[in-house]
Amino acid sequence: MDTVVGFLMAGVGNVDLRRKTNYLIVDSKTTVKQIEDTFKEFTTREDIAVVLISQYVANMIRFLVDSYNKPVPAILEIPSKDHPYDPAHDSVLSRVKYLFSAESVASGRR
Amino acid sequence: MEVVDHETPSLENGKTDKEVEENANVLQFMDSMDAYLTLIHSLSSTLRRGWLELASARHSMGASRVNTVLLDHTSHPAATSLLVTQDEGKVDSGKPHFTLCKWASSSNENSLFGEKQSSQDKLHPQLRHRGSTELYEEKTSSENKASREVDDPVQKERSKSLSMFGTLVSPKLRAAQLSFEAALETLVEIANMRSEMLCAFDQVNMKLAGRKDEK
Repeated sequence: MDTVVGFLMAGVGNVDLRRKTNYLIVDSKTTVKQIEDTFKEFTTREDIAVVLISQYVANMIRFLVDSYNKPVPAILEIPSKDHPYDPAHDSVLSRVKYLFSAESVASGRR
Repeated sequence: MEVVDHETPSLENGKTDKEVEENANVLQFMDSMDAYLTLIHSLSSTLRRGWLELASARHSMGASRVNTVLLDHTSHPAATSLLVTQDEGKVDSGKPHFTLCKWASSSNENSLFGEKQSSQDKLHPQLRHRGSTELYEEKTSSENKASREVDDPVQKERSKSLSMFGTLVSPKLRAAQLSFEAALETLVEIANMRSEMLCAFDQVNMKLAGRKDEK
């Protein structure tokens, strides 16, 4: 919640004529379905270039985040106040870490 | 009789051009990944500072005054936005480049243009041999005026953004706003570094796949 409030103070908040916002505050009452639907909506909107998502929230919809592979909007996983960033769970780093796996190194040496 | 083999690629320190290019791609990938992780680390510390300042503001102003209930749900555009361009040099690279436009609402377009004009004047200074001191003083005062004109709309936008928490807000809240602005700048750098890393990764992957096909 504090992360969203902070970025809204920095001026990134947008509310359209239908009162639809470009942010979602995830709390204890927010369901995984709501998060999934919002993620799908934000990644298909043409007026959004970057989607900021707390890594804690991204872990709730990990399959959806990891299967996303478009360049725009860029999905950036950020730390939250109560959950620090873990590079092992980052979707971008997960995608590239296979280059460092034993299998890929062994197949290159054959 | 000499036999010249035109098919053999040129050698550079015992490596072929292909190997040199592959090494360059791998290096670029490793560098961009390192920069990405460094920027994430920087973002974490900037966000921590912002959260602490926000918590201090909440403590001094009261939890009811710094609350998501007060967020503005009336129709309004974002004051800070991103400009997305395709990477220059390669037409089909597909690598986007992100540029942050802070507090660049429609009312600020004129002031931003004024800022660009004053910065262009700095690049092309006028030369005069007579009365050069007066000219320098005139230019300095006009530049100061231009920068003040630019800052005022920006300050107005900042104050407008904080107005949902009341007219008089804690200095800690203003400090938190600046921290999150700094976090936004870091995030844009992260987005650009992410694009570079994925582009370099794709190139390294293509070379590896090509090598497997040859074998």
